[in-house]
Amino acid sequence: MVRKRLMIVLFCIQFIVTGCWNRRELNDLAIAVGMGIDKQGEQFKVSVQVVVPAEIAAKKSRGASPVILYSGVGDSVFEAIRKMTTESPRKIYISHLRILVLGEALAREGIAKSLDFLARDNEARSDFYIAVSKESKAEDILKVLTALDDIPANMLFTALETSQKAWAPTLSVTLDELIADLTSEGKNPVLAGITVHGNPEEGSANNSVQKVDTPVRLQYTTLAVFRKDKLIGWLNEKESKGYNYIRDKVKSTAAVIPCPSGGKATLEIIRTKTKVKGRIIQGKPRIDINLRSEVNVDEVGCQIDLTKTKTISQLESLGEETMKKLIHEAVHTVQQKYKVDIFGFGEVIRRSNPKAWKKMKQDWDQYFTNLDVNVKADTSIRQIGTVGNSFLERIKE
Amino acid sequence: MLENGKISLRQFAILVTLFTVGDAILVLPSVMASQAKEDAWIAAIVGEGFGLLVIFLFTAVARLNPGMTLVEYNKKILGTTLGTLLSLLFLVYFLTCAAANIREIGDFMATQSMPETPNQAIYIMFLFVVVMGIRRGLEVIARAGEMFFPGFILFVILFILFLLPQIHPENIQPVLAEGMKPILKGAMASSTYSSVQLVAFLMIIPYVNQPKHILKSFMSGTFLGSIFLILLILLTILVLGVDGTANNTYPSYALAKKINIGKFLERIEAILALMWFVTIFFKITIFFYSFILGLSQLLNLKEYKVLALPSAMLLMVFTIVLAPNTTFYHNVITWYWPFFDGTFNVLFPLLLLSVYGLRKMVFKQ
Repeated sequence: MVRKRLMIVLFCIQFIVTGCWNRRELNDLAIAVGMGIDKQGEQFKVSVQVVVPAEIAAKKSRGASPVILYSGVGDSVFEAIRKMTTESPRKIYISHLRILVLGEALAREGIAKSLDFLARDNEARSDFYIAVSKESKAEDILKVLTALDDIPANMLFTALETSQKAWAPTLSVTLDELIADLTSEGKNPVLAGITVHGNPEEGSANNSVQKVDTPVRLQYTTLAVFRKDKLIGWLNEKESKGYNYIRDKVKSTAAVIPCPSGGKATLEIIRTKTKVKGRIIQGKPRIDINLRSEVNVDEVGCQIDLTKTKTISQLESLGEETMKKLIHEAVHTVQQKYKVDIFGFGEVIRRSNPKAWKKMKQDWDQYFTNLDVNVKADTSIRQIGTVGNSFLERIKE
Repeated sequence: MLENGKISLRQFAILVTLFTVGDAILVLPSVMASQAKEDAWIAAIVGEGFGLLVIFLFTAVARLNPGMTLVEYNKKILGTTLGTLLSLLFLVYFLTCAAANIREIGDFMATQSMPETPNQAIYIMFLFVVVMGIRRGLEVIARAGEMFFPGFILFVILFILFLLPQIHPENIQPVLAEGMKPILKGAMASSTYSSVQLVAFLMIIPYVNQPKHILKSFMSGTFLGSIFLILLILLTILVLGVDGTANNTYPSYALAKKINIGKFLERIEAILALMWFVTIFFKITIFFYSFILGLSQLLNLKEYKVLALPSAMLLMVFTIVLAPNTTFYHNVITWYWPFFDGTFNVLFPLLLLSVYGLRKMVFKQ
């Protein structure tokens, strides 16, 4: 009987004593959604964008800014973050980080040292994206308020995802992917760039988002090329798209192709699959890229007869040519201008022929610049849209 | 008889499976990937295959003196002095293994979820459950295993299904790039983390109700556990890649963090931690049970349950003094532990077998 009673008491107690040793209530946390790291002299300047819960809550909003920016300077990232408690009433909590922005100046000097904390700390998860601020400080990027999504870091997260899915020249990279690239012998990292249009100081004022044409905006730019952990340059839009084709990161995009009779048509790419294979021929490495894509005709700006199968196959081969050119140009520029393997061709060679790779990896950059890259593209047109031939044809001049 | 309970073959097999998976579920992939790189899964197959061979050895030893535990027949085979000495060594081994496993729980909790909670608090909570299980006896432990098992299997299946979309087949290429040496190294780690610790079951075999079929049940238990570990290692490398696996202290936890089904089903890594708590609980309980039962048999006690609480206090202190920090612990585990396990799980059983054989030959003449 005593035993039974004791069990009942113990059972009830467990509801009162839930929680752990160092529990922290939600209102003790400063939830950081964005983090920016810049160089300041020899030190790191870390800025975090923290959500102001009262402004996010639907009812009680006072009309103040939905986020607040804290920054700290320290010899290490962790020190800088802890120093922020001198201006923030709550301890910074980084589990819900959405975006990490690395300042361009820091990126040129090397990013590796600033990343260890985020990989090591138990609060950090590796599901946030990393980008480089182009021509501005990381801090300035986090200062800008955005419309449509109240929390700028959330907007940056989704904008990167959406643009990669629908437009292609941007790239979402997570921390573990970046670290894998940094440590790999056969691939150098690439990150998306963010730039701010307009004056960031102006963009941090709450009234800046009250206009239809918000004067200050954030925009993803094309890809940043790294040699190991140092930023060495930027790809242009076409090269970035070519990069994503090679890495099989393209989900959907638009491809403008020249019509046989002049003018332009646009294909909507709906599915792509790239296979990259490596071979060693007479001691020389060679890369074969095989790109298969399914496309729809989405915009016709010229006079072509879409009712004929011949035209369709003509368009298909034009599409193939365009994509091949895109890839060749991307490879060529990187080979000539940057001379670093960002495409992971070294990895491909290592996978296919580990013995040959062992000999080559010492001067892989050399091999890469002279690498023979062979591209095959196969495009199939599936749909031509809701109309047949373009009405352009029927406009009498 | 100190232990009056009897367990069925099925319960025995389940305990073996849970024990085999044990702490390996969380730490093994990292060790394997750092030693055998892309071929870690091949190494795991080799290692687990070797583990199955060791099971033959264990059953052969158990068959020499049916109905007796390891501690009892040590004395019978080697004589009182040597037998007692060997039994003492085994007891130290059991206790060390239990302490190492508890240590792993503490380290895991401190690194992943409760960095400021003193480790002792976690040890006490865990040991409380272990002591409770041991005071209830072997039957209750076995039934608890039976109860947790379906849930464990369900989570394993869900876990694998949820991760399928994130697999990158190129992560396991190239195959056999470095030749056989790293594979053998990895195989050693894989077997000593799982099957080549099963010697503790020599303390439990006498209490199985159908001792004739013990080999089959021992085998199937080990086999199931091994399959799970091989799949897990394959999955971690396929999803996280070699570097990601080797660099993570707890790769399967990182793996669980990766689960994201339609932005809806995510952040469920606690489930993996839960699975691990279940398997490591049985591993610790069985090591600790073997220690307590063995000690009371050695001292000719009438009751083994009285030893549970005092030994738990001993175990707790042992866990704390075992290693000053994680780096030390991981070094010992990676470089010395396989030999420690090998000595107790392969060398000593072989010794027992050969001494028994020699004695038989001498007596015949």
